[in-house]
Amino acid sequence: MKSTGHNLIMSALYNGRKGDRPPAGNPTSIVCQDLMDACGVSFPQAHLNADAMADLALAGHEILGFDTVMPEYSVHQESAALGCDVNWGDRDTMPDGKSFPYSDFSDIEIPENILEKPSMRVVLDALSILRRSVGDKVAIMGKVMGPWTLSYHMAGTQNFLLQIGMGENEKVIKMMRQLMPVTIAFANAQFQAGADVVCLADHVTGDLASPRHYQELLLPLHKEITPQIGGPLILHVCGNCNDRLDLFAEAGFEAYHFEWQMDAKSVVKKVGHLMSLAGCINNAQVLYQGTPDDAYTQARYAIDAGVNIVGPECAIPLTTPLENLKAIVTAVCEGY
Amino acid sequence: MSNDLGQIKDVIIGGKHKEIEDLVKAAIKKEEVSLDSIINDAMIAAMDIVGQKFADSEIFVPEMLVSAMTMKKGLNIIKPLLQGDASESKGTIIICTVKGDMHDIGKNLVTMMLEGAGFNVVDLGVDLSVEKVIEQVEQVRPEILGLSALLTTTMPEMKKVIEALEEKGLRNNVKVIIGGAPVDAAFAQKIGADGYGDDATEAVRQARRLIAEN
Repeated sequence: MKSTGHNLIMSALYNGRKGDRPPAGNPTSIVCQDLMDACGVSFPQAHLNADAMADLALAGHEILGFDTVMPEYSVHQESAALGCDVNWGDRDTMPDGKSFPYSDFSDIEIPENILEKPSMRVVLDALSILRRSVGDKVAIMGKVMGPWTLSYHMAGTQNFLLQIGMGENEKVIKMMRQLMPVTIAFANAQFQAGADVVCLADHVTGDLASPRHYQELLLPLHKEITPQIGGPLILHVCGNCNDRLDLFAEAGFEAYHFEWQMDAKSVVKKVGHLMSLAGCINNAQVLYQGTPDDAYTQARYAIDAGVNIVGPECAIPLTTPLENLKAIVTAVCEGY
Repeated sequence: MSNDLGQIKDVIIGGKHKEIEDLVKAAIKKEEVSLDSIINDAMIAAMDIVGQKFADSEIFVPEMLVSAMTMKKGLNIIKPLLQGDASESKGTIIICTVKGDMHDIGKNLVTMMLEGAGFNVVDLGVDLSVEKVIEQVEQVRPEILGLSALLTTTMPEMKKVIEALEEKGLRNNVKVIIGGAPVDAAFAQKIGADGYGDDATEAVRQARRLIAEN
């Protein structure tokens, strides 16, 4: 197998041939101020303009050396299309939702042309630009939000979790079922536009919900979603999810993107035979506050543990130094 | 502990929010039950147990939110009746989630616990710019400023707030506590904060410590 970024990522997703080194990949954003400055593209343009979005994604490969290009830097593309007010931020600020249009859990009106809404179309166009630009040199990664995360955006996170605490299961399942088609349609459209793999983020994180909540409320929906999407999926759930890894492995995802707070060796041992694993370099202490040596050491640990795709555990702080990100690439380039 | 206090404690721990108001009203009418004991021996004691269950992963945020909401419903009945020592503020605390971060569950839980512990809490909400925080500190003159962030992308804002307090000459007048999923005690020390709370219960402990040291 030729060890192109594309081949290494795709093979890693299926735990296939290893090539001469593990790939560095980013299911979530690796954009920081230094990267924006280096390529001359900044937020908010990179959320709103397809060319700017694609250019910034390319910088992840051309400047940092990652084996993936991932052009979605917010978690609000779908929620904006569904009627949330979104502040798209600037060079110093990540985008944020400003309103929760369905806090009353009323029926969600999904626009028939939702894929043509500007916040959705821009991602699809950026993926197509990347397809034409990188060919099969690196893997093109898309990103969609799952119904749990979309419900946070529609109803407000606290409100959504409060309903769960109060046992209003029917209400929360109804909302997620109404949102599921958005996840499926956006993911399939991303594959059609040029994505090789799509990250599906659904934040049923250990900090916010229990494994029982996942098992009863979301796992059945994930099991319905995954067969309806025509390409490989990486599940992203941040936080400590040790207590629900086996449930994630039942849901039909090709890979799971996890955080450093779960020990890589233990995660690989537990579910590495059931799904590929991506991650898990720590953001807060290592990439943001640490040194290139710290990042290198964690990346080597992840490689030794058997993590298939090495990269940051989650969207990085905007003030992350470029050198810390490059240290991940240095570590993977040393091979196994 | 009286049966009334035990029942109040149990419904808060169990998140039985529909039952709390009647129980508190019934307890208030009894001469042998003081308002202070309802707050300290039933409500705060219940939330201490809830906090511990959360720390032990016996319950998660949804259950903790319902318990906090239940406590607040009970507290709202008692508040207008408080006089003397029980109503004396333990100190004023400004709390907010930093700029670029809309997450407020942790902040809200900390606010509820601090209010339950007798502090006067001014909740500025979410997505607070450095300038807005400084303006409020100048205006309210709190003993403590609490900063929350859920995202690794927004934790650098905490440092900016502390730097701005120093630039404005306000740092010696206010203690700063930070909390939130991505931060830890080492980060608190690094940016010059005075305290770090791993959870809402610890935030209350830190607030009590800092007020006592003041």
